[in-house]
Amino acid sequence: MNLHVPIREPLLDVRDLHTHFVTDTGTVKAVNGVSLQIEAGERVAIVGESGSGKSAMAMSLLRLLAHPGKVVAGEINLEGHDLNRMSERQLNDIRGAKIGTIFQDPMSSLDPVMRIADQMVPPIMRHLRLRRDAARAEAISWLDRVGIPDPSRRIDAYPFEMSGGMRQRVMIAMALSCRPRLVIADEPTTALDVTIQAQIVELLKELTAETGAAMIFITHDLGLVARFAHKVGVMYAGRLAEFGPVGDIFARPQHPYTQSLLDTIPPVDQQERRRLAQIPGFPPDMKRPVTGCAFKDRCPGAHRHCFEEAPELAARGNDHVAACWLPEGLGADRTVERPLVEPLAPTGIPGDDRVAVEINNLHKHFTGRSALPWRKPPTVRAVNGISMRIRRGETLGIVGESGCGKSTVARLLLGLDPATSGDIFIDGIAQMVFQDPASSFNPKMTLSSIIQEPLIVTGWGTRLEREDRVRELLGQVGLDESYMHRYPSQLSGGQRQRVAIARALALKPSVVVADEPTSALDVSVRAQIINLLMDLKQQLRVSFVFISHDLLTVSYVADMIAVMYLGEVVEYGSADEVFHTPAHPYTQALIAAMPIPDPAAEAARVQTPLSGELPSPLSLPPGCSFASRCPKATDYCRSHKMVLKPYSATRETACHYAN
Amino acid sequence: MAHFSIPLPARRTVSIDLSRFNGIVRLLANRRVQLALMILVPILLLTTFRSVLPIAGPLETNLRAMTKAPSLEHLFGTDRMGRDIFSRTLAGIQISMFVGFAVALLSLIVGLVVGTLAGFFGGAIDRVMMTITDIFLAFPSLLLAIGLVSVMGTGMLPVVLAISLSDVPRFIRLQRSMALSLRSRAYIDAARTVKASHLWLMTRHIVPNTIASLLVAASIAAANAILVEAGLSFLGLGIMPPAPSLGNLIRDGQSYLEQAWWISTLPGAVILLIAISLHFLSDGIRQVLDPRSRK
Repeated sequence: MNLHVPIREPLLDVRDLHTHFVTDTGTVKAVNGVSLQIEAGERVAIVGESGSGKSAMAMSLLRLLAHPGKVVAGEINLEGHDLNRMSERQLNDIRGAKIGTIFQDPMSSLDPVMRIADQMVPPIMRHLRLRRDAARAEAISWLDRVGIPDPSRRIDAYPFEMSGGMRQRVMIAMALSCRPRLVIADEPTTALDVTIQAQIVELLKELTAETGAAMIFITHDLGLVARFAHKVGVMYAGRLAEFGPVGDIFARPQHPYTQSLLDTIPPVDQQERRRLAQIPGFPPDMKRPVTGCAFKDRCPGAHRHCFEEAPELAARGNDHVAACWLPEGLGADRTVERPLVEPLAPTGIPGDDRVAVEINNLHKHFTGRSALPWRKPPTVRAVNGISMRIRRGETLGIVGESGCGKSTVARLLLGLDPATSGDIFIDGIAQMVFQDPASSFNPKMTLSSIIQEPLIVTGWGTRLEREDRVRELLGQVGLDESYMHRYPSQLSGGQRQRVAIARALALKPSVVVADEPTSALDVSVRAQIINLLMDLKQQLRVSFVFISHDLLTVSYVADMIAVMYLGEVVEYGSADEVFHTPAHPYTQALIAAMPIPDPAAEAARVQTPLSGELPSPLSLPPGCSFASRCPKATDYCRSHKMVLKPYSATRETACHYAN
Repeated sequence: MAHFSIPLPARRTVSIDLSRFNGIVRLLANRRVQLALMILVPILLLTTFRSVLPIAGPLETNLRAMTKAPSLEHLFGTDRMGRDIFSRTLAGIQISMFVGFAVALLSLIVGLVVGTLAGFFGGAIDRVMMTITDIFLAFPSLLLAIGLVSVMGTGMLPVVLAISLSDVPRFIRLQRSMALSLRSRAYIDAARTVKASHLWLMTRHIVPNTIASLLVAASIAAANAILVEAGLSFLGLGIMPPAPSLGNLIRDGQSYLEQAWWISTLPGAVILLIAISLHFLSDGIRQVLDPRSRK
């Protein structure tokens, strides 16, 4: 081994880490020889597809693996002590004290039956050797620093009394309260809305800078990486494929896998409406031994050597290493693989002005039960007066944070729930692609009967005709007919979403409503599904309603965008305009909060995250519903309701001060 | 409706999907199921073919062989009227098995229908059905059975009905809760968007996904029914003597326990064996169905 003498001892020095999960069907080599060094104060992002071993790697550092995971070899040196040789008791002094952890789901990582104080104070007492009252004061000061209002009272709250964003702040306070040298955060913002995510990311940046703690940040969101990280590690099949400074990785990626991952992201610049790159194939089965490079089967540049010997990490520049036999990975040629998408006119099909969907003053109110019979029952105005038109062949993107009513609009469009008032006209039928590919299908039905179901129910054709239609549909979504007799459990997430699209297209609908169709998928698969939707839109001239919280994807897919906030559309117009020159302060905030997968652009942006959270939908403010969080709000806004008004020829906005 | 003109492929391959039988194969590979079948299958064979076995009929008395201890001639011995206990036990098992099967089937069907309707439709239908169910759940099952038998008289039908009446609410509850959670699945929404009928949704999407759990409950209910039937007969509220129900056999021998232990003990042991193996069977089914308990 090449033993160079470091000028400064790294904070964390991991050498040749191996983690295995022994199961009845074989040993999963989740981490297969990872070495990396992290300096104090450094923020390192680890990216990779699900199953690449990034979470297993992070949990191995703490030896907090779920059964039957086990670190089988390697050194984990933290400030000169090998954690892998420590006893469980010694480790307990490290966990929390030297290493803090932030998990993905703030709902399940706090104990629901314990007050915040009971979860925060004992670790502080133990690790900082403080008495109870001093530890409590310390905890309160941390809650204050993470932005919990009224911390001396909230410390005695239970987790369920707080919102998801607040709980994640508590998690951060807990992780940092014992002044750890290293913080491990496993997808800490994935469960949160974009504006809250922006707040949390800024908070983490600030606090780690302040305490000088290093951070390992696991994520699949390359935009977040660009915003947050100093260094990036790309994991593939249990190994580091590439590791280097964030600017270098984005500007000069060296490994074909990193290069492909970066190309799967929709471009920010709409002028360059290229097809997204997609990574063919699947990651290797981690139970089988791999000969040669693990990425060779999916790599367009693979040659003989790649099949014979696995490449080791080798220097590719300052601090930049990559494990690939090709000197520049796929090099600059890789752009040739991506033909440009034929740009569609923003109005849908040229010369076809017919309307596919028309929505007039749509309302959906959910009425609860009042606590006392003479009180007015609480009412949530999930959709509160929406009017829209979708032309044939046009894609409407609906964006907004959770609770804005976007999914309710979808259910109303499909006729799954009755509207409270207003009307919906659909020229033809509407079909749906759901978010969660796992619960979209009856597990007891074959794909053939799943796709046939709409045909059978509507009495379409004979059995043979229906089976032919299933073959045709499978072909359209890029699956061959051998899939007909498979069950949903035998498919990957991306394949399931293809089947969901095939089922939605079976009856030749005029509009397909897709509610977060890609958010449960890995980035590489996400690109495949988006490409497929774009192709189908052009081939079949079907209108899409694309609902997502991911603005970048929506702006890429959609012709028109509607931005929703608390049941109302606050801005509506052509995708380009809304995305590049947002008029409404909320749209502006959403776009500012959205991380851009470009470190240089991210560094140039001034971050002023939107403050506050959604007001309770049970008691909406009388005026503009956004006034409580709006930087431009005046007394007029707080007392007067805003409605959509024309802003330009192709745009409407509901803000008094938009001009 | 549009018609798709696609040339038929020249040859259609008919493929039989083997994974369809996966469940049964996995079930037979399960240790507990094997153990249960090893006990239940011989017992069932013996009872089915007892008429061709070289043993006396269950009601045949033999005054020259009263209260004989178990021997090769009378495997389980004889009672005070010289009736062959082994033969009577086999006949009793037949009755017990019938009661167990009838109760399980009846509970399954009623539970499936009522539970699906209540869980799927919710609202007023659910509330009415669940209130009635809860009332039945509030009575101890034996009390309910005693009440019913005292109204309808003794015999096979009242016994089956009485036991079912106390089992059915549990089946309804179980099926309702499963239907309730399945009702909001995305695939049901997908079928709703094409205006699938309620009957279609219930028979195609809900029942196939709940039937396995109900079968587990049914095999436990069968074991329980056999025990309750024996209990009712023992109390004189079940099958009327001289019909040889297992409960009757135990009651017959009760007063002779000191002189002729075999009259009660051996049929009792058979009841135990059957109940245990039915529990093994349900445990095995549950293990096969529940992916978490699989290693």
